[in-house]
Amino acid sequence: MNCEQARLLIGAEPGASPAALQEHLRDCQACSAFREEMLSLESRIGRALQEPPERVARPAPARRALPAWREWALAASIVLACGAVLTTWVFHSSDSLARDVVAHVNHEPDSWLSERHVDAAGLAAALAGGGVALELTSDKIMYAQSCFFHGHYVPHLVLQTSQGPATVLLLRHEKVTARRAFQENGMTGVIVPAQGGGGIAVLERSRGDVDLVAQQMQQDVRWLPGNY
Amino acid sequence: MRNTPPESPVLSISDRLPGGASGDPLVRLFESMRPDLLRFAQWLARDRGIAEDIVQESLLRAWRSREALKDPSAARPWLLTIVRREHARLYERKRLELVPLEDVAETQASPRLADPDSELFALRHAIMKLPIEYREPLVLQVIGGFTTEEIARELELSSTAVLTRLFRARNKLRVSCGMAAAPDATEAGEPA
Repeated sequence: MNCEQARLLIGAEPGASPAALQEHLRDCQACSAFREEMLSLESRIGRALQEPPERVARPAPARRALPAWREWALAASIVLACGAVLTTWVFHSSDSLARDVVAHVNHEPDSWLSERHVDAAGLAAALAGGGVALELTSDKIMYAQSCFFHGHYVPHLVLQTSQGPATVLLLRHEKVTARRAFQENGMTGVIVPAQGGGGIAVLERSRGDVDLVAQQMQQDVRWLPGNY
Repeated sequence: MRNTPPESPVLSISDRLPGGASGDPLVRLFESMRPDLLRFAQWLARDRGIAEDIVQESLLRAWRSREALKDPSAARPWLLTIVRREHARLYERKRLELVPLEDVAETQASPRLADPDSELFALRHAIMKLPIEYREPLVLQVIGGFTTEEIARELELSSTAVLTRLFRARNKLRVSCGMAAAPDATEAGEPA
């Protein structure tokens, strides 16, 4: 067995130790070191996969229990829920990002109802996965989660404003070149470009000024360097 | 994509079975494995709601083809296989994968993270971002406990192709943990 073959086997099955590999490792320090690294990594992979991936940020504060909703969040414009709620789309079917944002927020209805501020650590955890820095104190934030959306982790926040709660999704990986507004069943929303690329979605259930919140977010949000 | 609140209830398959079946020991066995199946499905589908649907359909399929399960002690790998195939069916139908395949070698190595929780967080993030052709065999191996040969049969690949995909999956995860990528000699050989 040569080093290439040994590396392939170690990289694919770190715990395997067939006789041919053992013989190679006896004489090859580099491959032995590689195997030690991969065994350590394997242990971490095992721990990482022990939990489901849905929640990687710190859990939100205790919130009121509600009946659960279920809906199909696909590209089509049909929504199916256990509570048989019918949702009416007002915006054009081509605005799939706005539709997906609304579908995501609808799927976390209790996010609007938190009555306790998120602590600094909880906010940091929600922002970390998306590579976001936010110039906003956590005492304005009632809900903070790192949510999986369109293939990436994005911060999902609910801010307390003078006109009620406002939901903010920080969408680093979306291409947003212009402001787009939408309305759905009493929810008003806007998606605006962020500085440095990406977008910011803001939704309110009151007739609040989503643009005011969006403008504040455009000033306060900064994408951190790195691959997120 | 959507995130289901952790409190959301999932109906037992016994609610959808004819009367009398709900007390069947096999149903109880299947239901006892639901958390494990759900975890497996979530790492494939990367979405709890979709994973719940996949597991629900898989358990119903398993019940309908329960005659094929000769040995109850083999229920876990059998059920995991059904879940994988259900996900593959859904994936083909809906094209759920949205993340494009990334380069194997990162242009800038991730910094080493001193905090173990942060490191685990970063690793889980990196696993989530693996393309399905790398994530699926990795999850089958680590969560499912399948051997390379079993994975090859299930995915209809050669054993060498499976080894290559597993190697490349772990190589990406090495980089996410701040280690240098290992040379990928497989690039010149059989495509995985």
